[in-house]
Amino acid sequence: MNIALQTRPPALSDYYSKNKCIWCDGCGNYGIWTAVKYALVELNLRPWQVCLCYDVGCNGNGSDKIEGYRFHGLHGRVIPFAAGAKLANMNIPVIAFAGDGGTFSEGIGHLVHGLRSNYPITFVLHNNANYGLTTGQASSLTWQDQPMNTSPNGIPEHTLDSMDFIFSLKPTFVARGFSGDIKLMTRIFKAAIQHRGFAFVDILQACPSYNHFATHEYLLDRYFDANAAGHDPSNLQQGKALATQVRNGIACGILYQCEDIPDFYHRLIPRKGVETTCVEEVRKYDVSEYWTELV
Amino acid sequence: MARISLKIVGASGQGINSIGAIIAKGLKRSGYCVFGYREYPSLIKGGHASYQLDVSDERICSTETKVDVLVALNHHGLELNMEELKQGGIVLHVTPGWQFPKHHQKLIAERSLRVVNFPVDDMLNRLGAGAILSNVLLSGFVWSMLDQDIDALKSLVGTKFAKKKALLELNMRCLDEGYSFVDPAGGMIHVALPAPNKGFASDLLITGGQAMGLGAVHAGVRLYAGYPMTPSSPLLSFIAELENKTHMVVKQAEDEITAAQIVSGAMYMGTRALTATSGVGFDLMSETLSLNAMIENPTVFVLAQRPGPATGLPTWTAQGGLLQAANCSAGEFSRCVIAVSNSQDAFDLMPVAFDLAEQYQISVILLTEKQIAEALYTQHPYDLEKAKIERGRLVVDPEKLKALKSSDRFDPHAEGGVSLRWLPGSEAATYCAQGDEHNSMGAVDECAFNTKLQMEKRLRKLQTLKAGLPAPLLRIGSRDAKTIDWIDEDDEIELLAIGWGSTGDVFQDVMCSNELRGRKIAYLHYTFVWPLRTQELRRLAMRSKRIVLVEQNYQGQLGMLIRMECGLDIRDKILKYDGRPFFYDELLSSVMERCANTSEGEENPGFDHAGTSS
Repeated sequence: MNIALQTRPPALSDYYSKNKCIWCDGCGNYGIWTAVKYALVELNLRPWQVCLCYDVGCNGNGSDKIEGYRFHGLHGRVIPFAAGAKLANMNIPVIAFAGDGGTFSEGIGHLVHGLRSNYPITFVLHNNANYGLTTGQASSLTWQDQPMNTSPNGIPEHTLDSMDFIFSLKPTFVARGFSGDIKLMTRIFKAAIQHRGFAFVDILQACPSYNHFATHEYLLDRYFDANAAGHDPSNLQQGKALATQVRNGIACGILYQCEDIPDFYHRLIPRKGVETTCVEEVRKYDVSEYWTELV
Repeated sequence: MARISLKIVGASGQGINSIGAIIAKGLKRSGYCVFGYREYPSLIKGGHASYQLDVSDERICSTETKVDVLVALNHHGLELNMEELKQGGIVLHVTPGWQFPKHHQKLIAERSLRVVNFPVDDMLNRLGAGAILSNVLLSGFVWSMLDQDIDALKSLVGTKFAKKKALLELNMRCLDEGYSFVDPAGGMIHVALPAPNKGFASDLLITGGQAMGLGAVHAGVRLYAGYPMTPSSPLLSFIAELENKTHMVVKQAEDEITAAQIVSGAMYMGTRALTATSGVGFDLMSETLSLNAMIENPTVFVLAQRPGPATGLPTWTAQGGLLQAANCSAGEFSRCVIAVSNSQDAFDLMPVAFDLAEQYQISVILLTEKQIAEALYTQHPYDLEKAKIERGRLVVDPEKLKALKSSDRFDPHAEGGVSLRWLPGSEAATYCAQGDEHNSMGAVDECAFNTKLQMEKRLRKLQTLKAGLPAPLLRIGSRDAKTIDWIDEDDEIELLAIGWGSTGDVFQDVMCSNELRGRKIAYLHYTFVWPLRTQELRRLAMRSKRIVLVEQNYQGQLGMLIRMECGLDIRDKILKYDGRPFFYDELLSSVMERCANTSEGEENPGFDHAGTSS
């Protein structure tokens, strides 16, 4: 039976891609990839209604394993590209994916200004605490004394406290998930996509090939759903404490959310009251009124 | 052609620009063509800066090294700029009791210079006005020297203070006072201007940066992202000043990489977006340039040139970025490089750049120069009819969208290498704008067959693009000629000059000079500098006794591209790489020198082909 596209709700199969997944066995990307599809379907979004932007890394190898308007760009640069895409068409949900390597080294400036600008996009950090695709070098989030490829004695630099850093940038949405819990990730992604500003989603991800310290089992033993345990995401101090204190368990879920702060686009005075998108506004403009002062 | 030049010098921040701007506008409204040129160091206060106005009743667009009037707002001007005065020139200064050194006294005598000390402090005291009004006093006096109607100047100044009555009155009194000043030492003083040409009165006085900004708005640019860097910053400022009227999205990014990426994301989504930068800022954008080549994302970058390497001379001019624009890349890809020449095409080429970018799904780099970005042009109001908004193979029709397959997006067999493009949010099959080598739908594909096919698809565009680009503009004597019309006449060309960018206008003025009127000089001006069309040049070269390359860089970069493309080695070069533009009199004498020598049997320039030594 043929059902017109518009009359049936979107299904997971709409996002099916015939391209074969090429991640390692046990890679956390499988879980993230699945949860993203669930979230989009549950939000009633069809592939043509979303824009998915991928940074370079193992996450980016997912760019052709899903349907949707997608982009796979340069290492570390996905945030500004995704922001530009979103500002041009505010009607399309834009989700940017990147690893901890690109995000906390090459692209850390973009992360800082992405949060600061509160762009209306979702940012999903594939956090496997190393550079996977370049075969297991230390990232800024690798544990300090952990021997890695190119740092057999462990890195001399100290590990970046990513959540402490993120909270110092006055975020409006911070969540943490675990690649082994698809249901939890689905809930987080849905909330992140619906958030009005920059949604920072840290997904702790297993990397069976190169991360031999924070393994799937390690994370599985320690993670818990903080919201189920009663955490109120509107409490900034509590959210930050949960995010940064991970010794006795890793709090996941929506750790902090504030909807009171307008996103970047809604702070642009020239766009106040403009109903159209920049994409719809491309045409020839009469500029003679702007040169009267020059005569 | 009659031309008068007036130069105001002093410290940055002293108000040189406000005097220059008000006199320029006043003269333009009276019916004169004014060309304004600014020199200033890279600092905010202090340093030695200048604003020169070259004025004529005919169209001029160049600056002379020698001036008729020097207005010195401090004694440094008297120390540094005296040599620039022409025979019979006027020195107007505000330094009481200034004693000229011996060599300047000699100069004053030899050139019969008239020196006027304008007692600005006394006048300010008398009027109870602050130091800030000294510019208004001086403007009034300069206006009287130029023998212009005081009411015209008053109405100009008046509009600025229309809402501040007290200030308005004080300004008017200063204008009157300055205007009626008579030099007690030498009496009335007049600078003879030719009769005005009312045609200029309704023209605009505009900088190249402003022209580009208006062109961008006209072309449908709806998002601008930039990072401040001279000489691209005036464009960012101008776009930002207009934002409440244009309703554009304007983003001052955290760096040039971000600006380039934001613009690329916005173009991918389907709007028209623009960024601009200079030298090292463009280095940072070059990775994004190659990204856009791979995902076949139309984009336009403005590269405003200043002397490098590195920070170089931030506030000075150059044409050193041509090879950078044409060649910087990771890998090989098609791109288009267009060089603007003046305020006319700074406007006109903006929609052209976007049309080409969208028609070929490539990046277009629009070159400008500090000289163009900041020079003040007398500009005829722009033709708003001629721009077309051509979006190439963009699919928007709902029925056609439904028929699309993902594999249409990067179909390697598409005509001319340009495949169908449709925008995120379109109800259609989706695709991936893939930065890795990919197949027709944007899935990563590293197989040899596909790699070769996609590479050929992307590079094939260059041939189609090249075939469709306009021919370079040929000017013979003082008139424009369609290259095609003129190319087969058998007249021998005495001197064929080749240039691009701001050089074109100066050369035009040189060809109109009395000295060269009627000479068989041809000037071939390149606007579309990559890919480079050489068929017209090759045919002209065969008929030219002498060929000279005129560029504002050390290597003769256009000459290098010409040689690379067609083997023509232009050995005679007029090159300038000192941060200054070509000046009218300077270029005129370089050209005259060559014309004098042509008759002495200069060797015809040779084509050398691959394998032959130069």
